[in-house]
Amino acid sequence: MAIANDPVGNVPTKVSVEEQRKKLEPAVVRRLYAYMLKCRMMEERIRTLYRQGKFTGNYFSAVGQEATEVGATLDLLPEDAIAPSHRNFVTNLMKGTPLPLMFAHLYGRKTSPDQGRSAPAHCGYAPLNIITPSSTIAAQLNIGTGIALAYKMQHKQNVVVALSGEGSTSLGFWHEAVNFAGVLKLPMIFVVENNGYAESVPVALQTAVQDMSIKAQAYGIPGVTVDGNDVIAVYAAMREAIELARSGGGATLLECKTYRWYGHSEIDAAKYRDPAELEYWKSRDPIPAMERYLEADQLWSEAWKKELTADFNREIDEAIAFAEGSPIPEGDEALDHVYSFSIRERELERKTWSPKFERTF
Amino acid sequence: MAIMTYIDAINAALHEEMERDPGVFVLGEDVGKMGGAFRATKGLLEKFGSERVMDTPLAEGVIISSAIGAAMMGMRPVPEIQFVDFITPAMDALTQQAAKLRYRSAGTQTCPITVRVCYGGNVGGGLSHSQSNTSWFIHCPGLVVVAPSTPYDAKGMLKAAIRDDNPVMFFEHKKLYRSVKEEVPDTDYTVPLLKAAIRRQGKDITAISYGYTMQLTLQAAEQMKKKHNVDVEVVDLRTLAPLDTDTFLESVAKTSRAVIIHEDNRTLGIGAEVAATIAEQAFDCLDAPILRVTAPDVPLLPAAAEMERFCVISVEKIVMALERTMAH
Repeated sequence: MAIANDPVGNVPTKVSVEEQRKKLEPAVVRRLYAYMLKCRMMEERIRTLYRQGKFTGNYFSAVGQEATEVGATLDLLPEDAIAPSHRNFVTNLMKGTPLPLMFAHLYGRKTSPDQGRSAPAHCGYAPLNIITPSSTIAAQLNIGTGIALAYKMQHKQNVVVALSGEGSTSLGFWHEAVNFAGVLKLPMIFVVENNGYAESVPVALQTAVQDMSIKAQAYGIPGVTVDGNDVIAVYAAMREAIELARSGGGATLLECKTYRWYGHSEIDAAKYRDPAELEYWKSRDPIPAMERYLEADQLWSEAWKKELTADFNREIDEAIAFAEGSPIPEGDEALDHVYSFSIRERELERKTWSPKFERTF
Repeated sequence: MAIMTYIDAINAALHEEMERDPGVFVLGEDVGKMGGAFRATKGLLEKFGSERVMDTPLAEGVIISSAIGAAMMGMRPVPEIQFVDFITPAMDALTQQAAKLRYRSAGTQTCPITVRVCYGGNVGGGLSHSQSNTSWFIHCPGLVVVAPSTPYDAKGMLKAAIRDDNPVMFFEHKKLYRSVKEEVPDTDYTVPLLKAAIRRQGKDITAISYGYTMQLTLQAAEQMKKKHNVDVEVVDLRTLAPLDTDTFLESVAKTSRAVIIHEDNRTLGIGAEVAATIAEQAFDCLDAPILRVTAPDVPLLPAAAEMERFCVISVEKIVMALERTMAH
């Protein structure tokens, strides 16, 4: 069977992964693992909550793609920005958005960063410069260019990590962003999470090229493709790209070839995929792979994993309790935050249908 | 005080705001070395340098989007869209991003951008250099849409827009750029957004317009005085969204008659909203049906002179509608 999107033996990576592995501090490698585990646990719990009807709307999990999610976003500075897509809810965890606020967001509660306005997967967090995402594809990359432009104009050393799926590269809007970043040498990293499918459409129907990174050539920036299920490869490539961006060297396009285990969303059974393909990718699960890797260096044990799991389950339980105990927004709060000034009075008056002027002559 | 054209007033506002606030910068196609297609940004590059006066790639989507992102980080970008006809690649950025960002973050992420847009016809520009299309944005809560009609307002409202914390669409009619002159202070002043103006007092009939057609409406009002001794009150909407309804409602409550004039297409143009508001809020005061003088519902504007003339607003067309309303 032909495996869609298989990176194995087929990645022209410029990053010497083996060299990077040797350089990495054990603490960093352990942190990469711990975060992948946390992301997996959190998203599996979120999926359960959704199926239990605890929150409505929809959810777009990145389960299976943790190596990319974590490798691309570990250890960013608080002022660095993330421009996320709908599938990057976990980047909030990576950046440090408090877990209770993330769950309040899923639940659409008043305590969430957007006070119940955005869809469950669209979580942003202003204090850590995570753009509140929208559903239109590649919009976040374009807004990201402006954040990067501001960093440059304000002489800051910060970077913007802009994430999108491979489907986004078909849009003119994607190319506008990458071109703009190339021309202006913006401190940005465009992470294309190539998980093989844009909703149901396979990558072969999105582009005639093998590797998305080749598109970088058209915009005069480095383009790198890595195995998106190898967290160290992703992390190492990101470190190079971030260093380049922070030092004024401009943007990088990083393609991570990976695979999502579940459908596009919780209401998609993903029947358009060959089950054997899923099995193949599950055999390349980045989490047990990392366990084996760490164990070889005595950096991993069952006991440590148990401890991590127990601690994080407790954190998730607390976050869920916070969300469930949080107030539900009142209906008329829909009238707030449209402008910097209030339109509440006007809108409430309109609901009365009473004329303002009557004949006086 | 100096006598200024509308374009001079825009240019002066940009110079003054960029001097006042280092966060203000302009970006767009040809705004740098060339000083803008209509010279609105003339002299800015020489004074403020290429970092704050950016000739961008030819890509409206990222012009507006990058402004949004920079504004989120505390900058005050003033992107220029050369012709409103070219704004469609930026529609996602404007309607899904700029308009909603504050809302979808409960006020924690905002984008105070001022999008300068050149609109309007009657210059033989044809189908893609002549449109008005204000309704596209009026229909989009979260955006402030303004269209000043005089040089004084152009300067004062542009300065107010740049200082405003909301995304503002600033519509400049290309026919106004050099056709209207008046005294404009050299000093710093702003004209508040969100407030309509009475341009001419009158007791008999209310004529409501904005932008270039407001100037034509004033001329029509003078003709009505001369020909029929009718006193037309002219309301300049100035801001199209959110709409100041009190000013025109108070006027209609006084005159009992209303005509609305705009160059945009008729269906769901601002005239429809004004007429509906009058019908809901002041129906009892009316002595005549509310009339609209607008472009027909055809793509605007055909290039051939006769067809263009057929579609655009003229003083004669406004006078006819005012006469018809008075005769009722």
